[in-house]
Parts: sequence; C-alpha cells; structure tokens
Amino acid sequence: MLVGIDVGGTYTDAVLLDAGKVIRQIKVASEHGQVLASILTALDEILQGIETQCIERVALSTTLVTNAIVQGKLDPVGLFIMPGPGADWRGRLAAEPLVLSGYVDHRGRERQEIALDEVKQTCKKMAGVKLFAVSGKFAVRNPAQEQKVAGILAAAMQPLHIACGSTVSGNLNFIRRTNSAYYNAAVWQRFQDFADAAAAALAERGVQAPILILKADGGTLPLAKARELPVESIFTGPAASVLGVMGLCPPAKPAVSLDIGGTTTDIALWKGGAPLMDAKGAAINGYLTAVRTFRLHSIGLGGDSWLRRDGDRLLIGPERKGSAMALGGAEPTVTDALIVAGLSDFGDRGLAEAAIQRLVFPGKSLQETAQVIIDQAAEIVANAVREMLAIEAAAPVYKVEDIVRPELLRPELLIGVGGGAAGLTPLIAEKFKLAWQVPPLAMVANALGAALARPTLHISLRADTAAGEYTVPELSLRLPLNDRRYSIQQAVKQAALHLQEMAAAAGITADEIETTFGEEFNLVRGFSTVGKIVHVGVQIKPGIIAGLIDAAATGGAGT
Amino acid sequence: MSNAKAKPLGLVFFPAFDWAISPTHPEREERLLFTRDQVLEEGLLDLPQIREYKPRLASIADLERVHIGVPDIASLITDAHRVSAGGAITAAESVLRGETAKAFALVRPPGHHAMRVVHGTRGFCTVNIEAVMIESLRRKYGLRRVAIVDTDVHHGDGTQDIYYHDPDTLFISFHQDGRTLYPGSGFPNEAGSPAALMSTVNIPLPPGTTDQGLHAVLDELVLPMLADFQPDLIVNSAGQDNHYSDPLANMAVTAQGYARLAEKLRADVAVLEGGYSIEDALPYVNVGIILAMAGLDYRRVLEPDLDRAPVQSAATTAYIGKLIADWQGKWANREQLRRSALAAAGNSWKRERDIYYDDSQIMEHQRESIHYCPHCPGYMAISTESSGSRTGDKSAFAVVLQQESCLVCRERGKDALIKAKRQRDHQYFVLQDKKEDSCGRI
Repeated sequence: MLVGIDVGGTYTDAVLLDAGKVIRQIKVASEHGQVLASILTALDEILQGIETQCIERVALSTTLVTNAIVQGKLDPVGLFIMPGPGADWRGRLAAEPLVLSGYVDHRGRERQEIALDEVKQTCKKMAGVKLFAVSGKFAVRNPAQEQKVAGILAAAMQPLHIACGSTVSGNLNFIRRTNSAYYNAAVWQRFQDFADAAAAALAERGVQAPILILKADGGTLPLAKARELPVESIFTGPAASVLGVMGLCPPAKPAVSLDIGGTTTDIALWKGGAPLMDAKGAAINGYLTAVRTFRLHSIGLGGDSWLRRDGDRLLIGPERKGSAMALGGAEPTVTDALIVAGLSDFGDRGLAEAAIQRLVFPGKSLQETAQVIIDQAAEIVANAVREMLAIEAAAPVYKVEDIVRPELLRPELLIGVGGGAAGLTPLIAEKFKLAWQVPPLAMVANALGAALARPTLHISLRADTAAGEYTVPELSLRLPLNDRRYSIQQAVKQAALHLQEMAAAAGITADEIETTFGEEFNLVRGFSTVGKIVHVGVQIKPGIIAGLIDAAATGGAGT
Repeated sequence: MSNAKAKPLGLVFFPAFDWAISPTHPEREERLLFTRDQVLEEGLLDLPQIREYKPRLASIADLERVHIGVPDIASLITDAHRVSAGGAITAAESVLRGETAKAFALVRPPGHHAMRVVHGTRGFCTVNIEAVMIESLRRKYGLRRVAIVDTDVHHGDGTQDIYYHDPDTLFISFHQDGRTLYPGSGFPNEAGSPAALMSTVNIPLPPGTTDQGLHAVLDELVLPMLADFQPDLIVNSAGQDNHYSDPLANMAVTAQGYARLAEKLRADVAVLEGGYSIEDALPYVNVGIILAMAGLDYRRVLEPDLDRAPVQSAATTAYIGKLIADWQGKWANREQLRRSALAAAGNSWKRERDIYYDDSQIMEHQRESIHYCPHCPGYMAISTESSGSRTGDKSAFAVVLQQESCLVCRERGKDALIKAKRQRDHQYFVLQDKKEDSCGRI
C-alpha cells in the first residue's frame, strides 16, 4: 500500500492506495506552522485499522522549506562567491556574499587562481558558522575552484553542510545557482530536524516503508538523498497536483490542466503526454533560483475567492475571507455561486442562496446572478490560460527551423482537478470550445500525485573535445576525453552511466532514462575544425510509478 | 529618473544555431554560442531591465522594399535571412510601440555589405537587415530622418549604397582603412550623390586604433554630427570586429570601448553585424553592449586577456586627429558643398561600378543614373549585369520610383523601363515603386 500526503497552507490531504486503487482519502485542516503535526494527524487517520507492515512507501509533499524561506526562518550561511569580471550581481543574491578572487571562463578555463590566503582570512571572520554555500561563475564548466574553496572550509570550519552552486544545478546562470546553493544551506538544518522527526515518528508507528520527499519538478527523492538537496522541495503542492493529473488521466493530446483550489488556480500545459517544465527555475521571496519546476501559471482565483460588489462591478478574489457561506463562512464565495447555479452539490443550499442574495443585480434573479458570477470567474481563468499560451507561443527560440516551422501548442483537452474543478472546468472549456475532463478523485489529486510520483534525478554532461575533457557538474566530475568525434549519442550514453551510478548510490532504480536536451557544435579555428562541443542532459523520466485502475471510470467529461 | 519605471531594453537574441554559410566559414552555427553562454551565465535574461523578444519572419515584400534581386530576392536567400531581418524589425518595433526604451537585435546572419541590387552573397551578407528594418519602420510609422552609425570594422558599403542618394538618411561609418581591409572602400570622398552629399560620412581609421581613437572620433565627430542632423531614429550597425582579438581585422578596441560607445551613442536600435572573435571578444562585447544599452553597470565586463590589448601609437593618434579636423571642416560647409555639387550635376548624375560578391564569386557591373526634378526627388534607373553565378550570367534593368516622385517623374521612369524592355538588352525588367510599396518584373 502506498501513502501520499500533501501538506498545504490550509488543508492537508492524504490518500492510501492499494493495488492501483484509492482505498482511503482524507482532508484535514493543516496545523498552522506545524508541518510534522499535520502529517501525523493525517497519517494516523488514514492508517486507522491498517497493518503498518503493509505500507510500501510514504511520500510527502510539504510546505516546510517554502515556509522557512518565505518567513525568513533561515540559518546564518557563509556565502562565498567567485563572480569574476562581468555584470553586477549586487541586489540579485538572497544574502550578502563574501567575494573571493579567482574565476573560470565560459570554456571552463581557469583565468585567475583562487587566493588561498584570502579564503583562510575570510574563514576567520566566520567563527561559529556551520553552514556554507560556495558558488563560482562558470563553475558548471569547471567545478575545481568551488571544490577547492569547499575543501578549505571543510578542513577549517567543521561545517554541517557546504552547498556548491555547480552541484545544486548544472545549468548556466550564476545568480540562480548561487541563490539555490544559499537556500539549500540556509534550510539544511531545519530539514534535517524534520527528516529526523518524521523518520522517528513513522518508526514509532511501526511503518518500516521508505519515506520519499516530493520535489518541485514532480519527482521524489528518498529521504537520505533529499537531505542533501532540501531546496528542491519548495513549491511541491502545485507539482503534486500535476503529478496527480498524470496518475488520474494522463492526456494523450496537447492539453491544459487546471488545479482549482480554495484560493488559487494553477495552470499547467501538456505536450506529448508530459507537463512543460520551466527551463530556468523557481523564484522565491523575490529571488531567482535554479530549482527545476513545472511551468505553472498561478492566479488568485479559487472556490473560496471572496465575492463583493463595487457599484455595478462584481469583484472576485484574489482575497479569501474563509470558506463558502454554504459551509459556514462569513462572506460569499465562488463556491456559493456554483451551489446556487446547481453546479456543485454540497453544504447548505439555503446559506449559499443567502450569500448570492447579497450580490443580486437589479432585474436579475438569484440564478441569473449566480450565472453571471461563475461566468466571470471562468473568464478570469480563461484569460490566464490565453495569456500562458501566448507567452508559450512568444518564447524565444534559437534555431531557424523553430521559427519557420514552429511547434505551436494547440490544446485539445482541458483537465480540471482540485476542489473547485467540477463546477468551473466545463464553463472554462466552453470558452475555448475544448473537450474537458474532471477525473474522479480530482479533489485529492495533490495527495495522489505525491503517492505515485516516481523518484527522479537529472544530470548534464558537456564534452569539449578540443580541450580533451568532459564535465558533469552535478557530480563535480571533470574527466579526460580523447575522442575527437565524440557524438551526442555517445554523450547521452556516458551521461546515462553516470546517472545510473548516482541513482544506485541514492537507492533509486534508474530504468527509464530520457534525454532532456542535446546540442553539438563544431569548434573551428582559422578555417579548420579543431574539435566539438557536445552538451546533453539526461534524467530519470518523471512520472508515476504505477497507473490507477479504472481511473477515468467515473467523474465528469464533455465536449 | 525612477529606475523602477524606466522602460526595458528590448533584446532579440537569435543565434541561428542551425545555419552556416559553409561548415568552416566564419559565419557558422557556433558564432554566438559562447555569447549565449555568457549572457545566460550572467543571468541577463532574468533582469527586469531586459525583455527578450522572439524574432518574426520578414516577408519577401519587406525585403523587396529595399532590394532588387536578380533574378529575384526569394531565390537568393535562405530562411535565416528572413529571421535576422525580421528580428531587426521586431526589435525596432518594440521601441516604436513604446514597450522598450531601446532595442538590440543580436542576430545573424549580418547584412551591411548587401547593396540595393543583389546577385548573391558578399561579405557574408545577402540582405541588408538594417535597411529592411528602416524601410519597414518608415512605411509603418512614418519616420523620416534616420541616422545609421556603422561601428563594424569593415566599411558598411551595402548600407552606403542603399542610402547614397537619400538626404534623409545620415550614414556614418568608421572602420579600418579600406586600403588595408575588405571591402576596400569607405574613403572620405564617398560622401553621397549630389542631392544627398554629406549624408554619407566615411571615417577610415588606421590599423591599431584603440578605444582612445574610437572615442575621439565619437566625441568630436559622430556625436556632434548626430546632434546637427536631429534624426527621428538612431540605428547602430553594431559590428564587433574592431576588437583587439578579432581574427579578420587589425584594430585594438576592447569590450569596455564598445560598451562606452553604446552608452554615448544612445542608439534607439542596435543591430549586430560582424565580429568573429567568437570566444575571446563576442561574449564580453555583447554583454557590455547589452548592459550599457539597458542602463546597467558594465564597468566590470573585462576580457580575461585584456593585458594583451595594444596601446595606440602616437602616429595613429595624430593621424586620427587630422582626420577629425578635416571632417569637421567639411561638415561645417556641408550645405554649400551640396549646393555646388547639385548645380554642377544639372539634370542627372551617373556612376558606373564593378561590384564583387566574394562569397558567391560573382562579378557585377552596374550603371546607376539619378534623374533630378525641381519638384520632387526624381527617379533612378539601374542597369546591372553579372557573371560568374553558378546559374549563369544575368542582367536586369530597374527603375526606382520614390515615395514622393511627382506624376511626371513616375511616367518618365516607367517610360524608361518600357523603352529598355523594347531594346531587349537585359533579361529582367524591374519596377520598384516606393509609393505603391511594390517591386516586381514587368
């Protein structure tokens, strides 16, 4: 049996799966600021009467790291950077760094050495600091300087953790890698405490199953590996929902999925059966990181969005004033309008009618007013979808072929999950003349996504045959290469081997490996070819460990 | 001025990673690879002061607003040319729509050696992307006065050719002296045909010119000329091959020199031209220009091997000083010079030239005649013959009618074309009618 738990800001959802079927699902109020307590409340409820030795895996999606960063509950970190010459980094880093001399260039050549004395001097100012982050410009091309500084810190400071920019992300973008490394160090201790407590609490309950932590890119990591990369577990709630869609009704056609929750709606785009990823990384607290995420567009509209009138105008959200009046809330909400319009059937209908009565337009009935409200709500979401599709179509591309023959995303299906999905999805689909689907269990897609999310890892490999070497930054590898005709195919094969080793060390099976990008350039000097640059990315294919049986048997769909 | 509310720099980055003239040609796939790496690593595309745009495809009509292709422009270009010309238009339109303060089209292939008549590719260029951009803007936004400052190390002979008769376009090119470098032109005496005399300004600089010489020319000549001309739009043909590490030229400018130039010039739109030190110069020069145009601090953008940048010799400094003084004198007298040239020309002005297409190994012989009119800009007739093309020798006779050509000149131009067709001395007969915004064979 599989357990998935998603701790959100308002609710904690949990599901229990057995042989491809959801046998239990629960929703409890999250205990404010108490992630572990929320998990245990949900766990105890969902495991009632279940033999704990039957549990094969417990996957957790939590707001722990997100909240720590947003609320500034961060430990002091010694942040060392080697920015070299270039653009000004000031104002772009999440913490004040200590700047070291030394840098490498875009081909990974060391152009100025690290000044060892300078590092040692700086260490003296850091007495008592146990957490460090080290980040150099172009360290993904050559991690040696980061390694050297980390080595000195390890010897001199008895650190608890040192995060290096090039290991938290293999992508180019010094600012984002630096912020990722900093946050990784700043939340490290908090995450260790959580991991220790979670492991102990599960052991206490007799659950022997491995614990997995969801990442922002929709993959999971075994707890031991997640301890190294806590920053990867930001923003997992929306990612869990996207995974849930994959479990409930993976779209075969280009699609748009909506997770319509209480306060927000998260929109994702699907192509080739997979959600689109954000190539750059997540932004948190106003700073940019290299943390991989799904490409999501979030708007302030959900079932609990507050309804009020401003003269003739109807305003919807983005504030939430509590739950629907039909459920005992104090202010009218979108959910109340859905109930009055007959599109949702729960709570106290009389209270919902009273809510909409407050907003009734002159000359319109209660029903008509409810229709106007939900149409306006659907239009808000539809506009956000249009905007996201327009941004996708306008995304810069760097090849002639991609301009002349663009692969436009033309969605053929709209999928809705989350509490507000059943009522709103058909109305939004109507605006695009799209087929739509609201799968059963749409309300707990997030917990389901966590329960089913596959463990994933990704690495990149860049070979420079003229320099006679290749680099795998995520593994801090820089190895000789003596093959002038090294191809993308060889690079992918080599990268896959490294990924398998990495996976084995983390206790992950790497059976399905896919290529995320591949590019190859000849290096020409004068008028002759002197070598090649081959750059590839590989990952364990994200997705779900097993499909659900009869997932689409019930629920709603239409055209 | 509030920075938060300042408009961003529009950036069209189009490295054409799947396009090359030939596998080992300097204009090949990898040219902007290291620039992309540097731009991404610096996180420039994340800055609120920079907004990236996807280039649009220029239409054949966009290209024919400028060019007369023989046999036609469509058969001489690849899709990449339509993207780079379209990228320049996209960049400029972001400025004219008011979305951006300035824009930089960091695109390839380049265009400043492409002339009005096109038989093939010369100096890596087939269509003149700046001219295509400018004529598109003139059509759509009604711009009139445009200044082009060509800072490529090679003389922008294509742009010069296209605007040689246009008094509303000030073309300033400084470059390594044509006696020492391709295309071997760009001397001060090439200053425009009589009605447009002194709207072409060539400043040939000696090999070894550094930031010092370049900024002397900029401060003492180019900027005052721009102030006098009062253009509606300033375009920078932003070649980067004046860099000390460029393998195809012999100048000694640095990334700082280029960035400061971009800052002082305050061009509305910059368009990348040449620059073939793809690893040692372009990453730094491009980052410097982007930062400077976006109003950001570029002072720390330094090449790792900056200590090998040469120092300018005293002789070079003195030579440049004299060049500046000569030009200042002529510029002060420009109205007088133009009047006398026009008076000397009478009703028409002619020139006859050979034009070599190095990339296509084509030789063109061209005769141009400008027919003046007291009421309008008149019309132009061009006779062109080429040899050496793999598809055989070609010839064409073309008439260009200006937007403001009067009815009499329009008729005369058309008559000249019909007459030429009757004589059957050429294979193709083309009318480029700027008023009707059309270009086609008759």
